[in-house]
Amino acid sequence: MLNKVSRTKLGPIELEVIHGTIRAAELEIEAAVERTARSPMIRDQHDYRVALFDAKGRKLTGRSYSAIVEPVFTYFEEGDIHPGDVFFWNDPYNSCGGIGHVPDLCTTVPIFFGDRLIGFSQVFGHHDDIGGAVPGSLPVHATDSWMEGALIPPIKLYEGGKLNKAAFKIITRNSRLSEHLAGDLDAEIGAARLGSRRIVALAERYGIETLEEAFDQILKNTAEIFRREILPKIKDGVYHFEDYIEADGVDEPRLHALRLTMTKTPEKIVLDFNGTDPEAKGPINWALDEMEGRYFRKWLAPALRSLAGSPERAAEIDSNEGVLDIIDVIFPAKGTLITPNFGKPTGMRFFLMLRSLGVFTACLSKATGGKMPADHETIRIWGLTGGSTQNDFYLFREVLGGGSPGRPWADGSDVVHIVPNSKNLPAEFSETRYPILVEQLALKEDSGGAGFRRGGFGYDKIIRALGDCRLISNADRSMLGCYGVNGGRAGLNYQVSVIDKKGKETVHPGMSDTVKVKAGTSVRVVTTGGGGWGDPLKREIDKVVYDVQCGLVSRKAARDFYGVVLKKAGRKWTADVTATKALRREMSKARGRLGMFDRGPYFEKLKKKGAVTYPDKWKDPDAGWVATAID
Amino acid sequence: MGLRIAIDTGGTFTDVVAIDEETGEIAAVKTPSTPADPSIGLVEGVQKILDTLDRGAEDVRMLLHGSTVATNAVLEHKFDGLGLLVTRGTRHMIEIARQSVPDGYGNSFFWVKPPRLVPLHLVREVPGRMRFDGSELEPIDEKATLKAVKELVEDGVRCIGVCLLHSYANGDHEQRIGELIRKTYPDVFVSLSSVVLPEYREYERAMTTLIDVLVKPYCKTYLQNAADKIRAKSGDIPFLIMQSNGGVVKHSTAGERPVTMLLSGPAAGILGSIHMAQLAGYKDILTIDVGGTSTDVAIIENYKPMYTSASMVESYPVKTPMLDIVTVGSGGGSIAWTDPYGSLKVGPRSAGADPGPICYRKGGTKPTVTDAAIVLGRLPAALIGGEIKLDLDAARRAYDELGRQFGMPAEEIAAGALEIAAVNQVFGIRQVTTSRGREPGQYAMVAFGGAGGLFAAEVADFLGIKTIISPPNPGNLCAFGLHVSDVRRDYIRTLVRQQSSANAAEIIEAWADLTKLGVDDIRAEGIPREKIMIQKVADLRYFGEGHEVQVDIPPELSDAEAIDYMWKNLHRVHDQTFGFHYEGEQDVELVNLRVQAVGTQHRPSLKQDIAIRQPAVPFAKRKVYWRNSGWVNCPLYRRTELAIGQNIEGPAVIEEYGSTVVVPASWTLRSDSYGNLILEKSA
Repeated sequence: MLNKVSRTKLGPIELEVIHGTIRAAELEIEAAVERTARSPMIRDQHDYRVALFDAKGRKLTGRSYSAIVEPVFTYFEEGDIHPGDVFFWNDPYNSCGGIGHVPDLCTTVPIFFGDRLIGFSQVFGHHDDIGGAVPGSLPVHATDSWMEGALIPPIKLYEGGKLNKAAFKIITRNSRLSEHLAGDLDAEIGAARLGSRRIVALAERYGIETLEEAFDQILKNTAEIFRREILPKIKDGVYHFEDYIEADGVDEPRLHALRLTMTKTPEKIVLDFNGTDPEAKGPINWALDEMEGRYFRKWLAPALRSLAGSPERAAEIDSNEGVLDIIDVIFPAKGTLITPNFGKPTGMRFFLMLRSLGVFTACLSKATGGKMPADHETIRIWGLTGGSTQNDFYLFREVLGGGSPGRPWADGSDVVHIVPNSKNLPAEFSETRYPILVEQLALKEDSGGAGFRRGGFGYDKIIRALGDCRLISNADRSMLGCYGVNGGRAGLNYQVSVIDKKGKETVHPGMSDTVKVKAGTSVRVVTTGGGGWGDPLKREIDKVVYDVQCGLVSRKAARDFYGVVLKKAGRKWTADVTATKALRREMSKARGRLGMFDRGPYFEKLKKKGAVTYPDKWKDPDAGWVATAID
Repeated sequence: MGLRIAIDTGGTFTDVVAIDEETGEIAAVKTPSTPADPSIGLVEGVQKILDTLDRGAEDVRMLLHGSTVATNAVLEHKFDGLGLLVTRGTRHMIEIARQSVPDGYGNSFFWVKPPRLVPLHLVREVPGRMRFDGSELEPIDEKATLKAVKELVEDGVRCIGVCLLHSYANGDHEQRIGELIRKTYPDVFVSLSSVVLPEYREYERAMTTLIDVLVKPYCKTYLQNAADKIRAKSGDIPFLIMQSNGGVVKHSTAGERPVTMLLSGPAAGILGSIHMAQLAGYKDILTIDVGGTSTDVAIIENYKPMYTSASMVESYPVKTPMLDIVTVGSGGGSIAWTDPYGSLKVGPRSAGADPGPICYRKGGTKPTVTDAAIVLGRLPAALIGGEIKLDLDAARRAYDELGRQFGMPAEEIAAGALEIAAVNQVFGIRQVTTSRGREPGQYAMVAFGGAGGLFAAEVADFLGIKTIISPPNPGNLCAFGLHVSDVRRDYIRTLVRQQSSANAAEIIEAWADLTKLGVDDIRAEGIPREKIMIQKVADLRYFGEGHEVQVDIPPELSDAEAIDYMWKNLHRVHDQTFGFHYEGEQDVELVNLRVQAVGTQHRPSLKQDIAIRQPAVPFAKRKVYWRNSGWVNCPLYRRTELAIGQNIEGPAVIEEYGSTVVVPASWTLRSDSYGNLILEKSA
């Protein structure tokens, strides 16, 4: 009987069982969403996130990012949260970025043990449609939030277990696919409730005090992991970086800069985004500046895992609320890209999601002697739409990945997508369903930025239209490449073009949705290569030869970027080692010291033209930073 | 007087179970596996069981065999000499794969793409193009094809996979390429995707085809070797091979389509479970097969296992139909350790069989789940009937050491390790049930494998399961399961048609083609027509969805009725699987037609134990530690002595040769006349 007492105290066994249960519950909620949701974006593209929180809204789960609970607290007092309630919202302006655009619908279930609130279980997913100017609720040319769809601040969709039918009708009425929407909501609520049952079972087994003590410990351990394994690898100091969105879909294309000053001290990383460009007219804004940026800090922290001892270790490290202990953010005053005034459109906020990771990892590169991965751009949507009546209307739409960055431990992976487990469409599926023919399904030669570890390759897809249709492209990085780090070169940019029957190729802007495509002509989509990492002249000659043998790197690039002189006998490429060594020596001498960053030829051209300008007290963040030599 | 012998070759041991066809008597032995040439272990195993039974090789009527040779070839990355032919424009198909990064956000920064089965320079494009409806857009260019093949062979390729776009709709081009290769290079192994898996989705079909051709040389050689040795001793007896679909085929058939042998290891255990559970009176079961490094889980409803065509071997998809078995959690060899932040962890690292747990005295130094069980008195301090004395002291010292790090006694930390191992299984099982829309509490659990009986009751408690079945000889249920297998082959054809515009005659004809194939093939296995069962299945979805559900067609339906049934029942199965349907709202789309052809085999009837015995009494008592009650002096029983119908209240430990069943307090145990132990949760 003595052990009955020790059983409910928090020891290493209880902690592991509780932590394990939370991790497993996260996976289980995901399994439930995937089984029952209806929107293809959720089921097939896996664009949804789940999380469990404690009663204070601290995130306990850690595999992935999620939205946050604080919006509930803004609208409801603690005494106004009851068993059986389900909160619902999609308002990008009450979510500090967690819900970044209106198609992401968020459901949150409070978890009660008896009448005591012990946590929250949450699911949000990218739904097919929530109204607005175009099907899919992501209009490229939107100039305000209302053009993007219905805005719903946190409400009780269920109160005490009872559905608020009026609210439900209003929400579903505002969608072009109300059936899907209703089904998705049911799926998400069901899955969130399942997660809630797992936490209640823990409370039954261990008691609330032990459980809450375990929550504290789980978060503390995460902070400690970052403090012990990651922070010491980052040199204390102040670092700057900036990167750009090329166009907002409304104004004439120009660079919209996100600017970061990172201050690293032994205990903390402070990220100050003052200097960031003004809010845009078009839908590239991201409203982040509420509740101390709790969401934004949790979004950025996982990038730090790249400094873990190995990729395997990186995958093990959770990023839950504990990471707030080591990351702070400072926002600029209202009216910038990341602090937009209410009503500015946010549909394409995924450009900034990637760019914010990029400016953070670039500052970390400066602070680690270039030990971080280079840059990558892994979300863009392109498609063909045709037909004029309801019967023959079609939308062939793909979310295409790009090459992942070169990093100290490996070449970048080819055509990856940042959303975990998000899959492309098989050619055999696309041809069966849509009037198209897949003429080429390939990787783009030389697209990965050259480096000691080169960037991953992007796509080079050619699709022939079998009927008249219209081209849609929602893509950034169509002019600027993904930057290279520590002497690695930038990857190739995105490019969409139409090839007519005579073979004439016409390039179109990355943000397009009015280009007409005639039957029999082809559309070519080239996606970004990852930035390269490290001095290309140091890349093992064998690896360069192998890439050439595979047809991924051209003979010219092997020579111009890698300094490798090649010979071909029959089908077999080999390197002329003596000539290579000589050429590498010569190239190395001619170029002088290698810069830390390379943003590619288009950026250099802009710079020369004087098109890259900096605000007061802000200098060129690349200037003076050189690569660390590779032995 | 004939004997049927089943040989299940595992990584460490080869299990052999023989059944006398007349008396139904069963005998089992174990021999070491011989990975370098598994046929040696196989022959030794057969000899050992014959010696045990004092019988001769001429008494053997049939051999049934489960082999890991195909799986091992993949796991050991024997990919040399592999080449791929694809349609012009798609040379990067397997590099691109499905563009997905596993698991969490942000992983795209650090995740490293695994190496592909075929390096890009050994992938060649051939001119010629089919469309989705099977019509030819561009004819094949034989000269260009031969040139590509010649170059591959010159570059060292010995196994060629062929995967052309839309070959599931029209395999003519692939067939022609196959003929050209076989004619020109008879020594080169070839697999055609339209034969291996005529299903749409080019990447997955290509990978399945490549795996098939890559394991072909190993499987063909091994099976031929083994067959020759068997024939030399026992004559021309049937030598049947277990496939991952849970059915057996002749060794020569298996050698031609060896991808079906992949992951077949645990399949027979499922058949054995179903058989024993049925004898015990249970039709809905959840099986856990607890091995040294991991635990396999499967769900069975109404005696029927579930199937999947979404399996992976490492990062390689294999889409042939398999029993839906999921590997979860930890096993007996999983290691308990402390992470640098003071958390107690169990697994995923395992001491496996070599060096094994500390107590096995084979050089293991890390405390395992098995060591914990010894420390706690749950397992006897001697292995397999007392032959091998276990090193309790060393195990205890290891847990003393682990406990010291937390200021806890050895037994408490050992009990914790066991509890964590149990919840790891619970997590895995919940994911399996939740993703299939099931509740674990609705099943009886069949617990087998070497460590099956060790903490099944703890796992069941977490899941709300009230009944556990421990089949006889739980350590070699896989070998036993081979005896209750049927001959089986699966056929698939992709035929994408919408309900609103489908042509019934076309569907009927396709099904008839597949049925004829199935009947012919199963008859070629030596099964008469009246013993062949044909199960038609349709994969359907709502138009616009990217995932299908399977509708089984009742065999008594006419062709026209079958089609009607298929369209109607999509809604029911969809609702069952995903929790919703769109009946009357959305068009239904047919994607694949399947046929499962099963040739029923004679099942030896097991000898029922009807002897009336005195209720068993404990042969001894041992102190056993439980976290909520501390050390308790528990009665120990020998499994062989239990009387039918005798009830034993926990806590108690039931020991037998090679396995132990732990009955915690609040559980009651009884045994049935087939040797099953049935544990029930006390009210």
